[in-house]
Amino acid sequence: MSTSVDPILTEPETQSTRRQRRLPVVVSLCSAWLVLVLITAIGADLIAPYGYAEQSLLNRLKPPAFLGGDPAYVLGTDGLGRDVFSRLLYALRTSVLIAFCGTLIGSVIGTMLGFLAAHFRGWVDEIVMLLVDFQASMPFLIIALAILAFFGNSFELFLIVVGFYGWEVYARLTRGLVLQANAQGYAFAVRTLGVHPFRIYVRHVLPNILSVLVVQVTLNFPELILLETSLSFLGLGVQPPETSLGLMLGEGRNYIATAWWMAIPAGVVIFLTTLSVSLLGDWLRDRLDPTLRDADQ
Amino acid sequence: MSPRFVLTKLLRACLTLVLAVTFVFVVLRMSGDPVTQMLPDDTPAAVITQYRAMWGLDRPLPEQYLRYVAGLVRGDFGFSFRDDRPALEIVLERLPMTLELGLTALALTLLLGLGAGILASLNRGNAIDHATMAFTIFGHSMPNFFLGILLILLFAMTWRVLPSSGAGSIEHLIMPAVTLGTSYAATVGRFTRSSLLEVLHQPFMRTARAKGVPFGRRIMGHALPNAGIPIVTVVGLRIGALIGGAVVVESVFAWPGVGQLLVNAVAFRDLAVVQTVVLLIAFTMVVVNFLVDILYGWLDPRIGAGRREAQA
Repeated sequence: MSTSVDPILTEPETQSTRRQRRLPVVVSLCSAWLVLVLITAIGADLIAPYGYAEQSLLNRLKPPAFLGGDPAYVLGTDGLGRDVFSRLLYALRTSVLIAFCGTLIGSVIGTMLGFLAAHFRGWVDEIVMLLVDFQASMPFLIIALAILAFFGNSFELFLIVVGFYGWEVYARLTRGLVLQANAQGYAFAVRTLGVHPFRIYVRHVLPNILSVLVVQVTLNFPELILLETSLSFLGLGVQPPETSLGLMLGEGRNYIATAWWMAIPAGVVIFLTTLSVSLLGDWLRDRLDPTLRDADQ
Repeated sequence: MSPRFVLTKLLRACLTLVLAVTFVFVVLRMSGDPVTQMLPDDTPAAVITQYRAMWGLDRPLPEQYLRYVAGLVRGDFGFSFRDDRPALEIVLERLPMTLELGLTALALTLLLGLGAGILASLNRGNAIDHATMAFTIFGHSMPNFFLGILLILLFAMTWRVLPSSGAGSIEHLIMPAVTLGTSYAATVGRFTRSSLLEVLHQPFMRTARAKGVPFGRRIMGHALPNAGIPIVTVVGLRIGALIGGAVVVESVFAWPGVGQLLVNAVAFRDLAVVQTVVLLIAFTMVVVNFLVDILYGWLDPRIGAGRREAQA
């Protein structure tokens, strides 16, 4: 799960790579799925037929409705008689929320550090790059586990830890791009006009490098979902009675032989979501920045 | 390869290691006073002071830090309070199992990833290329714990051909290794494809063909070494992901390795074991990164000649 986009690794554009590789049908399907995910995450309270912690011990381990179960429970019930469908909606909300906050924290911190490093150069640059290298060389999952072990788990800490994921990629990308931009005519032109550096960066440089950062977000987002779900799956992330997609899979795996419907739907939702964001990101990358084509994360 | 190049890389490796040790020390100290955490709340203040003196917690921080580092150098990684044994001993005991799983998965990754990448790049644009790329997208988006559960459901529960958990035989190794290897094979496959595509159209490939160099040797001897740098980079980067993945996969398949140990230690907040595992992984990563750097120099003599590294 530790990844970084290295600009050195990108493939220079050639004539033959300049064609549309994926049908837009796939893109629209992915977008439709993501819109559905978003609506579900926002409106979980309204859509879910039951509360996520609502138990009904008389209705334990009911199979899904389409397998001859109770029609009141579309995807069946879990070991405590909780409605799997409702839990899935709430879990989706938690996972999406964490991934969103995480993306926000990581991209803002990383981008800011990148700007600082590129602006001040010298020892600021050295320190930022040293930290970037250090982060890139340590598997993030391990660092997250260590911090959660040392400080004890709480939702806020978990959110912050997960949020830091990927900051080093943003920092490295931004630094490189800003250095490039600073050497270009437009930045030089505004600088000679006496515009404050902060304004140059926010108003002129940032809009120019935004497309690359957006592409990075699409690479980062699915990884964040995977990080959160992995940690929750291990029982070290989101804690019961709250629920997340990973936690549902983790709880469901103990029942996998008898009640597979507890785990599989959550897994399918994670898979489809990460798949959609990745495919959409690929397509976006082709559209926004042809020079980044085929550069895997 | 110039000695200067190797030395610079070695220095960098040591620096990263120092940073990792410092990170663990800082987190350890920030997480609270171990004495008050261990002793009951109504312990007399005198006893606490005595314990603090005994563990050297009353000294200034820099001295504590140096003592800590000196302890690590002597192999003193602290005591596991759950097992009442040195943490290092517990971790080293588990290491062979993790190496077995990790190296098998790595071999699988290289075999599948390089194979898929070569296959796809040579069949660019046709069905084989599309199928291979579909596999890489699938492998990339699939959470490894979900893949593991699906495999268990199919091979252990439904068809009953493989054991669902534990270790001890080749059969036990198959599912964990496949689960762990798949997503990394996907990434390596994608990278191999794109960097090979870049090389295949180079003039020297045409020259080799015109000279009558056989097909296999053109790919193995000419194309791959030139496409090697990005591939080596991604494999090196992915080692970290492989370790992270191993933690999850070991838990799914109850594989008695370091990863499972770490998860349990985190759950019970057995800090000595956690820090030992973290430092061990940091050490592994530093060594891997160093080897990758050296490999760069060997693959591309221009890098090894001591040219100053251009930071992007």
